Amino acid sequence: MKKYLILFFVLLPALGFSQPPNCNVYLYNKDTVQYEVCKSIENVPFYQYTKEFQEEFDKAIKKCPHFAFGYQAKATAYLKSGDFLTWKYLIDKAVEYDTLPYIGYRGWCKYQFFRDYEGAIKDIEFAEKRFGILNAGYSAAGDYHLTMAKAMCYSALGDKQKAIRIMENLFTVTDYVVGLFDYYQLAVTYFQVNDLNNATKYLDKQTAINDLAENRFYKAKIAKINGNSASFEKEKSEAIRLYNTQKILFDPYTEHLNKVYLNTIAQEQYAN
Amino acid sequence: MGHSFYILLIFLLTTISCKSQQLTEKSAYIKSVGDIAHDKTLDKKEFYLCDAENIIQYHNDYQGLQYKGEKIALVNTFSKKYVPTNQEEDSGLIRIRFVVNCKGETDRFRLIAMDNDYKGKNFGKKVTRQLISICKSLDGWIPKKLDGRAVDYYQYLIFKIKNGQIIEIMP
Repeated sequence: MKKYLILFFVLLPALGFSQPPNCNVYLYNKDTVQYEVCKSIENVPFYQYTKEFQEEFDKAIKKCPHFAFGYQAKATAYLKSGDFLTWKYLIDKAVEYDTLPYIGYRGWCKYQFFRDYEGAIKDIEFAEKRFGILNAGYSAAGDYHLTMAKAMCYSALGDKQKAIRIMENLFTVTDYVVGLFDYYQLAVTYFQVNDLNNATKYLDKQTAINDLAENRFYKAKIAKINGNSASFEKEKSEAIRLYNTQKILFDPYTEHLNKVYLNTIAQEQYAN
Repeated sequence: MGHSFYILLIFLLTTISCKSQQLTEKSAYIKSVGDIAHDKTLDKKEFYLCDAENIIQYHNDYQGLQYKGEKIALVNTFSKKYVPTNQEEDSGLIRIRFVVNCKGETDRFRLIAMDNDYKGKNFGKKVTRQLISICKSLDGWIPKKLDGRAVDYYQYLIFKIKNGQIIEIMP
């Protein structure tokens, strides 16, 4: 029981790492100083960008210099404002003082905000080794598993075959729940290596779980390659319709890998 | 009686001294992370803000980056106008942060840069001057509203540069 309790507390931040930690974990580990500062910031009523928020967390860190969550919380506004220098200093402190809950998160942020593919892969692989693939963690918004993110990094670096192997392998992991955009990302990777059969297979799977304008755009491209003009027009038209109803790859902070824009869809012609 | 008076006097003096110290102690922070104050040596004199005290972040309305023709339009502008330096030392990330006002106009451009290990660095002027100049020329920023009210907002662009060439533009 004790083992499972420890595992629960260790995994909790890794699975929902943008959330404040459960302060009881510190008490359980007899770290009363960290428990007290954790309690003191539980309901900080300020927006993370504000000076008041930063000062509250500075006070907590002053009382407990190894309060890893404090550094992560302070880092968030710098991340969102694109200040990679300050963000990296702060998030490295969080990872230094409590590696496991924050290293996967750091890896995701390196990918999402700074397209640092190599840095992201390194951090995610560390998390995978310690937690196993299934429990490596998720992106900050929860829409990608970190192993999926790692595969996307390899894809962006040009190693498409490795990306495909990682994604296919992930889908075979027991209890893995396929993400909202997983099939699309795999389909596009197959498309990029001219494996149109597998691309079509996964575009169809994506349509079944979460249809997207981008998904239909690639279906149209395949229809064009296959010389099927009626299918091309149908898929293109559906892509535009979905785009106009906001059924698209979207994130309020950054852009998804393999995002396709409305103008790109509209300009795609059967003849060109 | 005299003894008590002196204790009270010392207590009061200490309290006043502490209070005045608190009053004069300056915060290490500006109002919000990433705020850019007007600098008359760098910025336009006539740049208009609807509400200078409440400049929001580009993501506060959950609409993300808003540009006419979407992000690809501004990426195409950089592709057309930016001339690569092809210098190996011009590698890393450059962030240009600025204000988009409630009319979609821009000003207060500020730049930071790092190498590939997240260490601050100075890029060559051939890179930074071009990026700033093209950023200033972008005229498709869409004004944002929050709760129906026109707002000013902070936007940034991060350029991933390799050997003087733009590889990617974020966010």
